[in-house]
Amino acid sequence: MKRYAPILKSILLYALLTGATILMSFPLFWMISSSLKTVEETNSPGIVWIPDQPTLAAYTGIFQNENFLRSYFNSVFYVTLSLVGTLISIAAVAYAFSRVEWPGRNVVFFLMLSTMMIPPQALIVPQYVFFNKLDWIGTFNPLIIPGYFAGGAAMIFLLRQAMAQIPKELDESAFVDGANHIQIWWEIILPLVKAPLATVATFLFVGLWNSLLTPLIYLQTIDLYTLPVYVSTLYNINLTTQPWPTIMTSAVLTTVPLIIVFFLAQRYILESVVVSGLKG
Amino acid sequence: MLNNPYINVLIVAVLTVVFIISTSYGLGFLARAITRARGATPKQQESAFAGYFFAAPWIVGFVIFVIVPLSFSLYWSFTDYRIASGEPAAWKGIENYREIIFHDLGFRASLVNTLYLTVIGLPLQMGVALFLAVLLNQKMKGERLFRMAFYLPVILGFNTAVLLCWRLMLNTGTGIVNQIIRAISASVPPFGVLSRALILVQEVVTAFFLGMNTGKYNLLTKVLEAGFPADNRVPLWVQSPLWTKMSVILLMVWGCGTMMLIFLAGLNNIPKELHEAAEVDGATGWQKFWKISFPLLTPYIFYNLVVGLIGSLQIFEPIFVLYRDNEPIVSSTISMVYYLWETSFSHFEIGYGSAISWVILVIILIFTLLQFRLQDRWVTYDVY
Repeated sequence: MKRYAPILKSILLYALLTGATILMSFPLFWMISSSLKTVEETNSPGIVWIPDQPTLAAYTGIFQNENFLRSYFNSVFYVTLSLVGTLISIAAVAYAFSRVEWPGRNVVFFLMLSTMMIPPQALIVPQYVFFNKLDWIGTFNPLIIPGYFAGGAAMIFLLRQAMAQIPKELDESAFVDGANHIQIWWEIILPLVKAPLATVATFLFVGLWNSLLTPLIYLQTIDLYTLPVYVSTLYNINLTTQPWPTIMTSAVLTTVPLIIVFFLAQRYILESVVVSGLKG
Repeated sequence: MLNNPYINVLIVAVLTVVFIISTSYGLGFLARAITRARGATPKQQESAFAGYFFAAPWIVGFVIFVIVPLSFSLYWSFTDYRIASGEPAAWKGIENYREIIFHDLGFRASLVNTLYLTVIGLPLQMGVALFLAVLLNQKMKGERLFRMAFYLPVILGFNTAVLLCWRLMLNTGTGIVNQIIRAISASVPPFGVLSRALILVQEVVTAFFLGMNTGKYNLLTKVLEAGFPADNRVPLWVQSPLWTKMSVILLMVWGCGTMMLIFLAGLNNIPKELHEAAEVDGATGWQKFWKISFPLLTPYIFYNLVVGLIGSLQIFEPIFVLYRDNEPIVSSTISMVYYLWETSFSHFEIGYGSAISWVILVIILIFTLLQFRLQDRWVTYDVY
């Protein structure tokens, strides 16, 4: 009996792991399955695991829905524009905190770390007044511009830690060859921290793509809505029958970029979560 | 051309970049001039220039988007400032704060809801996270694949679209979750009894917490009078005030991946020799877990507890997507940030909203300081 114990143990373990995986990914399966059903099937009291006759009606419908397509474009547009600026400015600030010795660095670094304590939501009310004064309500500006000022202390910290590990001799020999700081930053340091940059980019992408509160506050017309805001309007509590296949189709199309990015970057993400202790 | 929102924001973005680069040079030159006046070497001057040049985006952003708004909101929190009225703000003293802390039922509801999520939700979430971490720590083949599957919900978790899928799954009558509960209860009677017992416990606890909101416990007596749930009872996930918070907890448990990774790191840091020594002494796996792993994991449990608590103050998306427009239900589940959004942006009472922001800020500050205190314990990588 004792001989079989390890085998039994690993069978049990795999059974538990597989069971947990099924439970954890069930919503994803249900989302896809429901997107292929008819409205009647999604609202019926019986269980329809996989529709007998999958229909792509919801997909053809949503690709003709101008509002959905526009909100998809809006999301891609705002996330791209925001991501590029935020990533570059974070990379610059991380360089200052790791590769350059300057008077006041420790004070500024401490200040930056202490901003991690400030919940972003505590700033939304005064920032709203500020953007209102600038006449930026009803534009993409409030969602994009703040990021250009190296938004995200945790991300700066993550990148700084990576840059600080590169040996100092590299910059010094480059200085001797006549390179300046901007060249060293862009041509030597950044290529060496590609993996941490990918991690930061992924976290930023996920945060921006999922963001609901700020777009909800600032984008007040349907032609500016990003995906999360538009998709939330598809569910209307006043309807007796919800158009679930359409909602789930839009959900599938919304999550596809997230899943692709996650699979590409999972190696870096799963390690860095622990390093920085941050929420994804 | 300025009416096109895309071109408009592109122009503003370019102007912002120009602005940031000029402040970078400005701060850099200023730093160089000051260090030169102090008689630093040319190399030190160059470093001062580069340091401020590269750090300028953050320094300028910190002033524009953090310091200035925080100072203004601190001032407004003592006034009755309203953005729509156009009148200048009138000083009110600590009236806003007194109102929030002593009289505001919405704020009190958000506090009690956070308490509920902390007392009921976090232990469940951490239990599942720890369980998954222990499973993964057995170092089986394909561990990475399982780890990905358990972390994926964190990436998807707060996306509106995914939350709407949960809304579909949690439908009381036709949702798949209740369908499965009904099907298993029908074929395995003991499961049905167990599930109804859990329903009763859940409803009693929640009715008690809802009583704390209002000071009236008539819902609790109603639940107790109804007695043991009838045969066909299922959870009323997104339909009844008794279940709204439990639905949010379900989402929290589903998204426990971050906690799981933290626990996994904790388990990895436990020296192998400890387990080997215990094995020599004849300890069982159960004893090894409770006597060795668990005590060494307590710093990580503290960390997850504090971070989870701060997280539950800030929950917004699930409540918005699941319960918005559902007036009688939404108050049973609002978080502080949801309440802040509701009060600030439905009536644009900036003064009152600022005061709520500051209360949230102070609460989070307290928990963060607590966490930093404990960080000394949780960051230790050598146990000895």
